[in-house]
Amino acid sequence: MSYLPRKLTAPMAVASLLGALSLADITSADGHAMSTYGPFPVTLKGYTGSKTNSVSYTGQIARHVLHDSIKKLAGKGDGGGNAASMEAEMMAYYAGSKKNKAIIAPADKGVFNFKQETLNEISSGKNLSGKTYKGMINGWPGQMTGPEVITSMIKHAAQTKGGFDPSTGYNYPQLISKFTMGAVSYNQAVNNYLAGKLAADSKPNSKPYKDGVHYTGKEHSWDEAFGYWGAAAHSLNLTSKQNYDIAKMKDLDAADANGDGMVDLKSEYNFGHAYYGSAFDKGGKTNYFNTITKAFIDGRMVITNAAGENLSDAERAELVALAGVIGENWQKIIAEAVFKYAGSVYKDINALKEEMAAGTDTAKTFAKYGKHWGELKGFALALQTGNTNLGETAVRLNRLTGFGPVTMNASQVTGMDSQGNYIKDEAKSWEEYQLHMLKIQKLMIEQFGVAAQNNNQLDQMSALADQMGDSDSAEND
Amino acid sequence: MVIQDFGISFIELFLDPRKRIYLGYLLCAFAIALFWLKFFKKLSIAQAFSKIFDKKVFFSTSSKSDLKVYFINRMFTFFISPLLLTQIIVATFLFNQLLKIEWLSPASGYAVSKSFVVITYTSTVFLLDDFTKYIVHRWMHKFPILWALHKVHHTAEQLTPITIFRTHPLEGIVFSLRSAFTQGLAISFFFYFFGSSVSLVTVLGANVLVFAFNVCGSNLRHSHIGIQYWSWLEYILISPAQHQLHHSIAEEHYDKNFGATLAVWDWVFGSLHHSIDTDSLVLGVKTEDVNDHQSIYSLYILPIVDMGEAMKEFLWTIVNFRLKITQKVKRRDNA
Repeated sequence: MSYLPRKLTAPMAVASLLGALSLADITSADGHAMSTYGPFPVTLKGYTGSKTNSVSYTGQIARHVLHDSIKKLAGKGDGGGNAASMEAEMMAYYAGSKKNKAIIAPADKGVFNFKQETLNEISSGKNLSGKTYKGMINGWPGQMTGPEVITSMIKHAAQTKGGFDPSTGYNYPQLISKFTMGAVSYNQAVNNYLAGKLAADSKPNSKPYKDGVHYTGKEHSWDEAFGYWGAAAHSLNLTSKQNYDIAKMKDLDAADANGDGMVDLKSEYNFGHAYYGSAFDKGGKTNYFNTITKAFIDGRMVITNAAGENLSDAERAELVALAGVIGENWQKIIAEAVFKYAGSVYKDINALKEEMAAGTDTAKTFAKYGKHWGELKGFALALQTGNTNLGETAVRLNRLTGFGPVTMNASQVTGMDSQGNYIKDEAKSWEEYQLHMLKIQKLMIEQFGVAAQNNNQLDQMSALADQMGDSDSAEND
Repeated sequence: MVIQDFGISFIELFLDPRKRIYLGYLLCAFAIALFWLKFFKKLSIAQAFSKIFDKKVFFSTSSKSDLKVYFINRMFTFFISPLLLTQIIVATFLFNQLLKIEWLSPASGYAVSKSFVVITYTSTVFLLDDFTKYIVHRWMHKFPILWALHKVHHTAEQLTPITIFRTHPLEGIVFSLRSAFTQGLAISFFFYFFGSSVSLVTVLGANVLVFAFNVCGSNLRHSHIGIQYWSWLEYILISPAQHQLHHSIAEEHYDKNFGATLAVWDWVFGSLHHSIDTDSLVLGVKTEDVNDHQSIYSLYILPIVDMGEAMKEFLWTIVNFRLKITQKVKRRDNA
């Protein structure tokens, strides 16, 4: 599964450090250090056309939009009445459509207006199904591949009211969204464009990516990986808070780099895991967003500076090192999200227990719990679609999360029958399941070194210790 | 600057309800003492005041030494404290060990209410704390190596609430470890089994039971006001007079009343002694070779010298024991 051997991680980290240190030397053709992803000049030998910018990743932006739109559609079911049409509509966005489909999300919000309204304005003929992780998804019932899991989720989502199934606790918009972000974007970037396509004999820099285009093989491979990352081209010049607010459609000024009063989805918006990176970074403990975005810009400069010649071994080694930095930090962002939502699930169970004890209605809290669990599960599955074989960590993560959340009638999904229906059995106790959430948080710290640690429930022990007061008093009773 | 900080932190002790000598607790102790002297000892209010604020006690060399030890210890604590094991380190370690036990799982939340968890936790913390204080205090008296340190506390010839600080810094480390272990144990187990339901019942930030103990005159333990409880109550709670008897120089009072709050531990383990009229008690430590118990040498250096002696003696005992065994084996083999 992994193109980059795990044993190379340490040398890659060292090389990446060296690469980062030499960053100051990497400059644009006119001698300036770059802080935006493009424009980069056309370097393709023999190109006679009129294009001046070799950057192109509109296909990836189209896929982010497909993803955002499916997430929105997954919450539109009316409980079965419109199931067939909803499933067909979602599949049109997932598997692709000949029609020029409307962009359902992201949609205009107040003054935050987008330049594009249909998919073909970004890129035509794109789908997600062809780019979804093809391996087995062990953390989801049914022993299915990535595309099969998403197709199955879409089918079930169409049957629900508002995307939530109270009998299983599944929130499909979240499950589909968080898993797809990993299975498509993360997977394509780290398993394909930042892996196999960096090899000397794959997509060489001395040739066009494909016949008739104005960019080289390596330029476009790197651009596509950046597109999947999802950051706005000018995002490195902004703060974490600004980048976060762009994704939340709250800061038009920060997003609108060219000042035309509109947000160009192709270059001015933060999608996918880039948004999550900024969300964690704004806490001040991490710097995932800038680290990754800078590595992408640095890598693109290495390719641009090769001026249309094939990359030397040293240049490729530099790209491999930067790809290592990108992959490692990207993985951490997903692990941070797993950590955060395990904490949310823990807190939701507390709220549910209080409501159960008081005998009040639990429906609203249970739906919130299902939403957080969907995010937890989606990110947990996404984490397993990268270029690292997680081995025992994946097994533990899947077992601790389970196939489904503990539901109000003390049942839990334990499998799937041959018809694609979920099988349920007796669930773990709420306390045991909460303990699983703590174990997941601990696992993310130990295996991925997550540092933002949003929603840290293990901190509660510190609070209990604080309640006790100092333990260093030297008094004789 | 540092000296100034120490002065401020000393004043803060009187303002922190989680500390024994919090002003409120001292006022409670004063009120109880006044009540005792007026209604049980039949003194006039003026006489009671004069007895409570006895200059001979508060301005004695012993009491001045208590204060001296407090300030010198603060300097030790300043450097040692960051190196000490804290309750959160112990709690995290134990919690992680519990997580590794596959067959162990928390009880069902339906069985217990949050109030049950909170009450059980608060009581357990208090009982565990009091019991481990009893055990460690007992060890302090029973093992010569530890007695060498604890003796510093017992060389006080007058008791005032400040005497609690008359502690050798090495003994302070032992107390700190006890506290970290006890609290870490309670936190980790309760958090494992009951998660975020766990919380302490507190009053002014202090454990409600510790608060109650302090309001009920805990400061009178180290005082010259020998309040005695009813005989039956002294099986359950240590009265001030019982603790003052613990400080008595008389041999028949040696190794009695180790308890901090509860007397039940002394009762169960056979070290309970009911209180007597404390006017007849002489407090301190009977030794032949040290005339001045209040000097810096006696308070800080001598305990370490004594500890070394005790350690030497202990090692000799082991060596002699092994020699005896070897000789016995040889004799048996020869026979």
